[in-house]
Amino acid sequence: MPQRRHLIASAIIVLLLALVPLAGSRYAVDLTTEVMIYALFALSLNVLIGFTGNISFGHAAYFAIGGYACAILLTTYGWPLALALPAAVVLAGLVAAVVGYFCVRLTQIYFAMLTLAFAMLVWGVAFKWKEVTGGDDGFTGIKMPAMIAHHVGYFYFTLIVVAAGIAALWVICHSAFGLTLVAIRENSQRAGFIGVDTRHMRWAAFTVAGTFGGLAGALFGMYHRGMYIENAFWTESAQVLIMVLLGGIYSFIGPIIGAAVLHLLQTFTNQYTPYWPTVLGLILLVIVMVLPDGLIGLARRVKARRGRS
Amino acid sequence: MTLTMFTLNAFYGLALAMNMFIIASGLNLIFGVLRVINFAHGMFYMFGAYITFTVAKTWGAPFFVGVLAAAVALGLIAFVVERLLLRHLYDKEHLMQLLFTFALVLLMSDAAKMIWGTDQYSVGYPPGMGGAVNLGFVMLPQYQLFLCVVGPLIAVAMWFVVDRTRWGRVVRAATQDREMLASLGVNVPMVYAAVFTIGSALAGVGGALAAPRIALVPGMDATIINECFIIVIIGGLGNMWGSFLGALAFGFVVQFGTVLAPNWQDVLPYVLMLVVLIIRPWGLLGRPETGH
Amino acid sequence: MKYSALLVAAGVLSAGTAFAQQAPIKIGAMYPLTGGGAVYGVPAMAGHQLAVEELNAKGGIMGRKIESIERDDKMNPSAASSTMKELITKDKADIIVGGLSSAVGLAMSEVSKQEKVVYISTIPKTIQMTTDKLHKYVFRTASNTDLEGDTMAMLAGKNKLGKICHLQLDYAYGNDLEAGILKALPKYAPDAKVVLTLKPKLGATDFNPFIPQVMAAGCDGVLSGLWGPHFVSWVKQAAPLGFFNKIKWISGGEIGSHEIAGELKAEYPDNVISNTYELWYTANDPSHAAFQAKLAKKLGTQETPQWAVLGYIGVMYTAAAMEKAKSTDPDKVAEALEGLTIGTPVGKLTIDAKTHQANIGQFWGPMVKKPDRAYRMMEPAEYIQPK
Repeated sequence: MPQRRHLIASAIIVLLLALVPLAGSRYAVDLTTEVMIYALFALSLNVLIGFTGNISFGHAAYFAIGGYACAILLTTYGWPLALALPAAVVLAGLVAAVVGYFCVRLTQIYFAMLTLAFAMLVWGVAFKWKEVTGGDDGFTGIKMPAMIAHHVGYFYFTLIVVAAGIAALWVICHSAFGLTLVAIRENSQRAGFIGVDTRHMRWAAFTVAGTFGGLAGALFGMYHRGMYIENAFWTESAQVLIMVLLGGIYSFIGPIIGAAVLHLLQTFTNQYTPYWPTVLGLILLVIVMVLPDGLIGLARRVKARRGRS
Repeated sequence: MTLTMFTLNAFYGLALAMNMFIIASGLNLIFGVLRVINFAHGMFYMFGAYITFTVAKTWGAPFFVGVLAAAVALGLIAFVVERLLLRHLYDKEHLMQLLFTFALVLLMSDAAKMIWGTDQYSVGYPPGMGGAVNLGFVMLPQYQLFLCVVGPLIAVAMWFVVDRTRWGRVVRAATQDREMLASLGVNVPMVYAAVFTIGSALAGVGGALAAPRIALVPGMDATIINECFIIVIIGGLGNMWGSFLGALAFGFVVQFGTVLAPNWQDVLPYVLMLVVLIIRPWGLLGRPETGH
Repeated sequence: MKYSALLVAAGVLSAGTAFAQQAPIKIGAMYPLTGGGAVYGVPAMAGHQLAVEELNAKGGIMGRKIESIERDDKMNPSAASSTMKELITKDKADIIVGGLSSAVGLAMSEVSKQEKVVYISTIPKTIQMTTDKLHKYVFRTASNTDLEGDTMAMLAGKNKLGKICHLQLDYAYGNDLEAGILKALPKYAPDAKVVLTLKPKLGATDFNPFIPQVMAAGCDGVLSGLWGPHFVSWVKQAAPLGFFNKIKWISGGEIGSHEIAGELKAEYPDNVISNTYELWYTANDPSHAAFQAKLAKKLGTQETPQWAVLGYIGVMYTAAAMEKAKSTDPDKVAEALEGLTIGTPVGKLTIDAKTHQANIGQFWGPMVKKPDRAYRMMEPAEYIQPK
């Protein structure tokens, strides 16, 4: 439950992040912005994985819907950000609700494959609906409100939105709803016996995940001033899945750590070698062979061992 | 669509289906017994094609020696991978096995780049199969006729081995209850290793047999793996005849769908999977999974 | 041709070595080095490296050494956008060259506009880049779909095609090329009729749904934009049916290059007329021989790939513009690039001051059998260059 030390730690992290632009490095500002967006994206997926045990292979769909919708509303229709962003997030949530309705009837690999199928459909629409989305040329030249057009302005905007998003997810995951989800994950049969409508709960989790995925996507599109069909492709879904697993699915902050570590590692590796696939492959081998509960699990084990000695 | 065109498209749909079935059958076998979703299957397919290229074109051996080499090489790679790493993961979550096979994809893609570079390659048709058979009203390519024979042969062979031999009974038992099987004195780990080896060798054969028809390029694994997944999911995971049926559905839907609605060819296979999963959540011939 | 893996490693090593009294000039280069795009990106990067080595041997640009910072663009626009920002903000690159796919090219152009750093697009052909989305800092030394389409229409007229089947890949390049051809067709072949238009998907390996339709349409020629592996797969599936006996295949997408001819060898079909940026065995400029010899040495093969020249030209233009501007300031370099003429291994090129498009041409011609070679060669290879 919300403990004071959690609140204080969070406040300190947000404050420290707020100081990043003062260091004067444009690169650090950009990189931190990217990491924050991926952190929210990964966290949103973990509502589904960590709390219901369902793996989605298609989470990029909602990321892309949020990103495209926000970009198109801002640019093509000239909506103000205060309307475009919420509208994009709601749209992502609505699509997630519709898709989720069908997906939660299935479990395990069938669930995963159905999410993949729907996501590829979203990719197909972004590809073929050229007049609106720009097709595979991408949707570039997003019109940005003057206030956040500068990279520092955008950094603070992202910090506020991501912090608010993470706080909202924290509240949701630690509410009665979140606890029920955990009960479903641990033993869906027993949860069913005590009167929990497991399918409805998983559906709700699916919708929440999609909504916040859409928020991350909207931030991502504006950051890059462009959305591309590659953002909806299954490889993007795989990447965010790896972030979540790397960090660890059984803790709230695991995916945040995973997103930060993976993105930074990828960025720095690319500066030295194009053999990133090998590096990532080795990381994954380490996860599955020795770190099945992710980095957070490792930290906990180290802590437990220290405590004993 | 004239009758001639219809016949031709039906034949091509069948050829596509058989081509896909040969590749997907191994994926399905591995899932059926080991319950492992092998993401690296597409990569095994690509290696199969590239190995055939090296053996048949660079070294100048006959094409079918290349096919054999692909099967043996992939079987060997799979056996080593299973014995060294994968066997430690059977008791862990599905997710860990999935991540493991994804790691294989990444490592093998870079390995392929180091071995074969990034150029595109072409393997010629085996002698006597590079032409077409003229039936008067249609011309059918010989090599695709050959694939239409090989596909069902593999299906029947697998059915015979799994359903009609003692070893097949052991394999089927392993899918049901491995503890019981072990207590009966069967070497279950070796059964698992054998299945993974055979399934992967089939991917190698699939790549080898596909090689004469297509350009070999980096990234050729990515599309095929999704399509294989779609086929085994449509058919019902772990069900061999389901995969056969899934491949047929895939072949005909893609062939006729592309002719009739070319704008949507990219997403046709996904739409097919979507429809099947919504109507029959466990695939055409699959059974609902019990438990968790 | 196993040079590609070596090159990738070599590029990484050369990236870190700067060695001048004055601060080096930094050129950021981004090509796909992994995945499907590596077929083109790796040789283009080789050409890029060759140009940098050559210039550095001669003392660099304005007496300053060149530091080439090389990155994988991963054929992913968002990743390319992040990487390009990093090259600009962290590595302080003075200019960016490269790209392959249209989307990556447009994403890089967007970053160039935001960050006010010059970007020279060396391979992406999308017409948008030099029309709707044109801005001060983006330049193109590759061909574009209008130029390519114009030449294809001209060849359709020259070969007296009456009934045309149109075959394009269903994505930006294919759609733009189709538009370019249709725009020019009435001019060169007023009587020609397009009887069938088909668009296989990008990355297609199975052309069975399309081959019978083209054969049944009764056209005497195909105008095609199937490039690289698409063309190879089409040939393999269509040739057994005698497809190329009756139908003339006029194609963009550089399938007249040696990479394709050298790989298909005897499988390369009759009746193909196509294009390529460069041919190792044919020159239209005296400087080609020296370029080709150096490239052959670098790659360890006499039969060098065409893509290298594109990477090479990108660097040559960078050097010429900076020398002319006497500065690395992006605004001055951009102004210097407008209307700039330089000599390259494929002849003199000029960048149009208004459209920022270089008048790069291509070799066009029929692919013919040679008694003394295992592969086909383009003969006669005519260099067609826009005015």
